[in-house]
Amino acid sequence: MNSEFGPRGRVASAADDADRAVLVLVAAGQLDALQELYDKYRVMAYSIALRITADASLAEDVVQDAFLGAWRNASRYVEGKGSVKTWLLSIVHHRAVDAVRRRRPTVELPEREDVPPAAMTLPDIWPEVAGNLDRAEIAAALTSLSDVQREALELAYFGGLTQQEIAIRTGTPLGTVKSRVRLGLLAMRRALIGDVGGGDGGNGEDATGARSSEPGGGALA
Amino acid sequence: MTHDTARGLAAAYVLGALEPAEETAVREHLRTCAEPHDEFAELGGVVPYLAEIPGLELVEPPASLRDRIMAAAAADLAERRAATPTAPAGAPPAGAPRSTVPFPSAAERAERTGRGAGTLGWAARIAAVVAIVVLGGWNLVLQGQLSDARAYDRAVAAVIDAAGKPGNQTVVLTPTKDGRGAGIAAVTADGSVVMALRDLPATTGTQVYEAWVIAAGSPAPVPVGGFTVGPTGTAAFTTQPVATPPGSTIALSLEPSAGSTTPRGTIVATGVSTAPKS
Repeated sequence: MNSEFGPRGRVASAADDADRAVLVLVAAGQLDALQELYDKYRVMAYSIALRITADASLAEDVVQDAFLGAWRNASRYVEGKGSVKTWLLSIVHHRAVDAVRRRRPTVELPEREDVPPAAMTLPDIWPEVAGNLDRAEIAAALTSLSDVQREALELAYFGGLTQQEIAIRTGTPLGTVKSRVRLGLLAMRRALIGDVGGGDGGNGEDATGARSSEPGGGALA
Repeated sequence: MTHDTARGLAAAYVLGALEPAEETAVREHLRTCAEPHDEFAELGGVVPYLAEIPGLELVEPPASLRDRIMAAAAADLAERRAATPTAPAGAPPAGAPRSTVPFPSAAERAERTGRGAGTLGWAARIAAVVAIVVLGGWNLVLQGQLSDARAYDRAVAAVIDAAGKPGNQTVVLTPTKDGRGAGIAAVTADGSVVMALRDLPATTGTQVYEAWVIAAGSPAPVPVGGFTVGPTGTAAFTTQPVATPPGSTIALSLEPSAGSTTPRGTIVATGVSTAPKS
């Protein structure tokens, strides 16, 4: 995987560059480009939507809305800092969670734009990580979480539950849930950064030393 | 909401696990607070990996879904085109941007067609553009430099417009190991490259950024024009026309002074021109 990056956090990998060039064409109104993007990400998108909604028909609607949202808003994201993949799957995730929440009896949805703008989709802060981690390495990172932390994160991400709802569902105090969510995410981040030093042939030594100790300073550039 | 309170809610926010009122409050804080919010980026970076949790069953959607999406997109495109004015015809003067009228920003176009992201109005969309630059750590004063944010938005729109024309190529510029600066560009029919760039350190004294085309199959970089960059770090620039076949490298270097015939300074960003798949 060809990947280089400058000191200020823009994700730079051959895979994302290719996606971004396609996204420019999507922004220009080229249907072929949208088709290309769809064909590349349809399985991940649908799988996430299905896991969250547990309803095939609703999942299809979610994916359709998400790609339509991407179609309409591509011009706002071509200069986004995170990867195109992250942006797209974030749209799917948001819409799936909203669809699930709408199904529930008392629902008050936050005012969200249909599609998170570039600002609200956060940059991938580890450019060398983008695309370099396989599912086995992510699984390994997850083992660094406690069971209750993992459960809290899964309930939040896939269940679309708020912290209060997680507290009720698991019979835990709200403060405990907040702590599990926060510490779980931090632990996963440490584990994922640690993996960068291991797997990547080119950057091995540098990554373990310099980058894992670097504060996220470059990320907001 | 105070800055510290918002920071404490970063993990739950990036997961979408806040109560609606809290989430709105954090979102508003991010929009208006000029302090850095590193936690949001750091923790936000983790969330996409949750999507790839092993144990997520990968399922192929039905083929009919693709048809529905493409049909809806085509309909949306037809509506957009019916509502916006067409670009002026004829070739622009060399070195000028493609349109001879100020190209409306993506936000302005969306507003005009009555479409666009969600149900928020024009004010919120401006806010979204400003939010982009605030989170970028530029610490812009909302009022004074909004016009710069809009100008940059227009530059991006110009690139998108050029990239969409038949036969034109797209370039994604990313920083080199020693460089800073990123952007998108389109190579037009006459070989000139329309660029929208950001994150460029400002030029001082006689410094200029020079653009180079290294055509596929020809090793020598050809200078195609230079520009200076101010405190916003953005630039909108169109190069002189030169043969730029697909697979050419577009490079930006920071030169100590103008007029180099070969790069003397650091090459800060590069990209490769790609033709659309047909």
